[in-house]
Amino acid sequence: MLLLFSDGGFTLKEYIIRRVLISIPILIGTSFLIFYLFALLPGDYVDSNPSLTPQRAAELREFYGFNEPVIKRYFNWIAGIFHGDLGFSFQYQQPVTKVINQFIWNSFIVSIISLVITWIIALITGVYSAMKQYSIFDSFVTFFVFAAMSIPSFFIGLLLIKIFAIDMNLLPVGGMIDVGSNTTGLAHYVEIGRHMILPVFILVLLGTGSLTRYVRTSMLEVVRQDYIRTARAKGLKESKIIFKHALKNALLPCITLLAFELPALFSGAIIIEQVFNWPGIGQVQLESLNNRDYPVLMTFTMFLSFLTILGNLFADVAYAAVDPRIRLK
Amino acid sequence: MNSATVKHANHGQSTKRPSLWKDTWKKIRKKKLAMGSLYFLVFIFLFCFIGPFLSPYAGQSVNSAIINQPPSSLHWMGTDKFGRDVLTRLMLAGRISLTVGLASMVISIILGSALGAISGYYRGLPDTIIMRLADVLMSIPGLPLLLLMGALLSELKVEPEYRIYLVMLMLSFVGWPGLARLVRGEILTFREQAFMKATEVLGLKDRRKIFSHLLPNTVPLLIVVATLNVAGAILSESALSFLGLGVVPPAASWGNMIDSANSLIDFQQRPWLWVPPGFAIFLTVISINLLGDGLRDVLDPKMKQ
Amino acid sequence: MRKKFTKLIIPFAAASLLLAACGEQATNNSNNTSSGQSSKVASIKDESLKAASPDSVPAKALNRKDTFIATLSTNPGGAFLPNFYKTGYDGNVSSPIFDGLVDINEKGEYTPKLAEKWEISKDGKTYTFHIRKNAKFSDGKPVTSEDVGFTLSILHDPSYAGDTDISRAHIIGGEDYKKGKAKTIKGIEIVDDQTITIKTDSVDVQALSILGGPVLSKAYYGKGYHFGNLDYLKDLYQKPMGAGPYKFDKYIPNQEVRYVANENYWNGAPKIKHFIYKIANENGLQYFQAGDVDFAGFTANADNLEQLKSVGFANIDIYTGTPISFISINNKKEYMKDAKVRQALNYGLNRQQIIDTVYQGYGEVANIPIAPVSWAYNDEGVRKFNYDPKKAKELLDEAGWKVGKNGIREKDGKKLELVYLSAKSDDGLIPIAKENYKEIGINLKPEFSDFNALVSKVDKGNYDLASFSTPMIMDPNDVVADYHSKNADKNNGYKNPALDKLIEEGQNTLDQEKRKEIYHELYKEFADNPPIILLNYRKILNGVSSRIDGVKQDPYNGILSSLTEVDITK
Repeated sequence: MLLLFSDGGFTLKEYIIRRVLISIPILIGTSFLIFYLFALLPGDYVDSNPSLTPQRAAELREFYGFNEPVIKRYFNWIAGIFHGDLGFSFQYQQPVTKVINQFIWNSFIVSIISLVITWIIALITGVYSAMKQYSIFDSFVTFFVFAAMSIPSFFIGLLLIKIFAIDMNLLPVGGMIDVGSNTTGLAHYVEIGRHMILPVFILVLLGTGSLTRYVRTSMLEVVRQDYIRTARAKGLKESKIIFKHALKNALLPCITLLAFELPALFSGAIIIEQVFNWPGIGQVQLESLNNRDYPVLMTFTMFLSFLTILGNLFADVAYAAVDPRIRLK
Repeated sequence: MNSATVKHANHGQSTKRPSLWKDTWKKIRKKKLAMGSLYFLVFIFLFCFIGPFLSPYAGQSVNSAIINQPPSSLHWMGTDKFGRDVLTRLMLAGRISLTVGLASMVISIILGSALGAISGYYRGLPDTIIMRLADVLMSIPGLPLLLLMGALLSELKVEPEYRIYLVMLMLSFVGWPGLARLVRGEILTFREQAFMKATEVLGLKDRRKIFSHLLPNTVPLLIVVATLNVAGAILSESALSFLGLGVVPPAASWGNMIDSANSLIDFQQRPWLWVPPGFAIFLTVISINLLGDGLRDVLDPKMKQ
Repeated sequence: MRKKFTKLIIPFAAASLLLAACGEQATNNSNNTSSGQSSKVASIKDESLKAASPDSVPAKALNRKDTFIATLSTNPGGAFLPNFYKTGYDGNVSSPIFDGLVDINEKGEYTPKLAEKWEISKDGKTYTFHIRKNAKFSDGKPVTSEDVGFTLSILHDPSYAGDTDISRAHIIGGEDYKKGKAKTIKGIEIVDDQTITIKTDSVDVQALSILGGPVLSKAYYGKGYHFGNLDYLKDLYQKPMGAGPYKFDKYIPNQEVRYVANENYWNGAPKIKHFIYKIANENGLQYFQAGDVDFAGFTANADNLEQLKSVGFANIDIYTGTPISFISINNKKEYMKDAKVRQALNYGLNRQQIIDTVYQGYGEVANIPIAPVSWAYNDEGVRKFNYDPKKAKELLDEAGWKVGKNGIREKDGKKLELVYLSAKSDDGLIPIAKENYKEIGINLKPEFSDFNALVSKVDKGNYDLASFSTPMIMDPNDVVADYHSKNADKNNGYKNPALDKLIEEGQNTLDQEKRKEIYHELYKEFADNPPIILLNYRKILNGVSSRIDGVKQDPYNGILSSLTEVDITK
């Protein structure tokens, strides 16, 4: 074993530096790949408005430089970035950074709150379900998880709006603020909070199911391990066994899952934005794809790409930090 | 379902395989839930593949005289907005949804677990290559890729009926990174445990170590991924159709049956449009899950005592 | 609702699953469902239904004393400047802020707005507009001929990147100005503050709508203008200022646009102080039910009507709109060159059944390419393609397509298989069309793609049939101009000298009575040698809260023409 250590082992710091350095060419490569992929898609921004006269359409294509080779457009784009210019949205007729900034935080706030609630619920139900495997509670959770998966979420959304917003008049129909509202300060935040209840509820409902399955499985594995048996044999308190020893190890695979959530926090949830009319970035991204508004699409995609790579790096570092037996290599 | 993995798990003991299968079968027969699920899956396959021959209705012919009728003795599950028999369409739809769901799951499990295992076991250069490739693939947004594929398949004049299978293959090819990272994480922890040190002392070959000792430990995880994957594939198939990639209406799939009942009025007043396909997906997924759980219990060496 | 972003016009546009940028009324996502009891839906009449219980208005709405809220069905872009915006919904947002010289009435005829009158010279090439003395921008400055001249000049600027094709106005000296050869546009003559004369070099019915479009203030939008650089305008996109009934107040991205009454409006300030467009996307009905909005538009079908009727305080209007749904035929394909084949495709499709199923009867079979609401509508003596599979079969036989194996027709070893492109998520036409066409020996192969990909395929001629629908149609020329041979390469390859002549005549004649006759002839030719399959005119379904009075609607203006008259009664 000692011999293996000398075979290219790293300290944590060295490892992180190396990974960051590798990430740079990867990001650049990815950016070209994505740029090229978008360029290959049939149709361009000018096609979004078929009402244009053919002459005007040709003029606009010339104006936007759509007729230039992909490589040249790519380098124009890269050059823009180095000048701090991420481009100008065709559709929104605003700088890309402004467009993204307008919507991304609306999405982030819903995502982060749902994420926290989802993980708390999933951890509790997952652990409890695993402890009482094949109990009524466990069966109920299993049933519920798969049922939630099979009922289309927009039905649930529509139903909740009908019950809580229209029939009972307790919660708003959708959006982020009341129509025409001029509230400021605390009242404003309370207002946004009220509008967030239903969207967050649905997101939690959608997210908890699969995560619960992962936690349950992971937990089931751990409690069958020898050291847990040993701990039990020693007569340690069950709750201590679960929370001190078992949970920590069961959570290891969940680190990978948590890393996947990093880009998801900023990407917006299209279902929610549609059903609850939430002004998020998901719709913007979809519209920019449909309209081939590449300045917006490219910037946003690269941002998510950066977060994906960052998330995976965090996960790998966290693994090594939590479990010292995993050597970095 | 996870038979692919099971096979790998026993690669080193091919001579014993028949007895192991028999052994597994004997044990699983005692598990009521798992057996019930197995029977149900067999039933639903027969229902979908043979059922339509027994139906007096064609799944595609439009009849505007009997639009959106509730279940009756003539149409046991009612009719849809084109006056088509829902039961017949449910069966026809199942052929596509079941094949798509299972095929996509098998391919991604094989790819994801193999690459994840190699990455986690060897680490070093293979790990760097596989994981950085995973980074890149995870960075490419799915929707544009699908749009491009739709355009490509249409240029190549691939018949719409076959596109969905190509797409599933393609999706598995770009969809492995998530699973690979999960499996790699598991392998990283397992390979440091005592039983793996024993295999080193015994001087087992790498292939045997990975397939007989490391991967079997990830089976529980694979079962979760597999069941979620089947559900995901069945549901997302309908979204793919509209990008020119999936089955093209009037052909039915469970996903597009649910999707076409899309208003509150359908939800409240015409449950026969969406309950049957929703129920079919639910039962299929939960059966696969229960069968998977049963298999896991039977195969898990630690459960033997 | 969506007014005239279609000042520039309209080969075709389509609703699609992922796209709604073309000024299409966004579908309510529930468009294709049916209430279903009745088997045969009778043809639906335009009608207004009074609210069943007008006193059931929610308290939330009653508490709103000086605000009128209407839904906008899709997210705008954010460039609120006529001629510069890129999506039709920005056009909707701009409409209450900007008035043009001329207006359009409920029959599609031009009427005075900021211009109290205009004259067109005998040769039809010179336009003289007389601006109202009391016409003012919302900042209090009068609207002058300088402003009109400025508005037309920047459309000729070489850096202009908007969608308006100014060359269609044919202003003398416009090209020279654009190329930098002249300092001013020769054809624009400012006679005095209220009078402007514009000389064009050809008679074209499209000119008036462009020349008489929304007027921009030179003092506001012209500050800092240098020839060849319009970039400075981008800073003003979200600070619009015009001579319309309402002033811009605030835009909350993808949520709402707020307006305040323009006290300086030439026709008197609107009765209601505040106006809001609530961007409702697919939640229009829910917002309406809860009292969050006072006016909402829906996709017309029986389900939506039934749901709207259940809202007791809703005054309901159903009327026919100007947009037309149609299937584009790729005339570039050799086998589509024979008019008999195209006629057969028309006869062989049961369009009434499509309307009954897809719109639950809320549509009307289209036989000519103009909606019945237009002054130009006249289908007398025009060939009508009533569903007639027998006739379709005969026509295909005559064209040499004989029934082969599997019942699919063949000619010279080629099977009659047609690719149908659709970008609609739930294209209800497919099951019916596939069956109809199978009956007459055609194998229809549906294919989906997103809308921009569909347009690009159509541009490349890579299709047989494709689903489209027009946005709002202001002038009959808007629809038919596309089928002139000069557009054939770009569009669907249709060439018909007889139709060319009629299209030109229609475009180059300004007298409405004469145009009526020309278009009547044109529609006959259009049907005999059809370039496309016309499907249907669509209905519009709107609900107005019973607390609101004075809302008038028409297919050309939506509610905008009555915006100053709307009042709150409760």
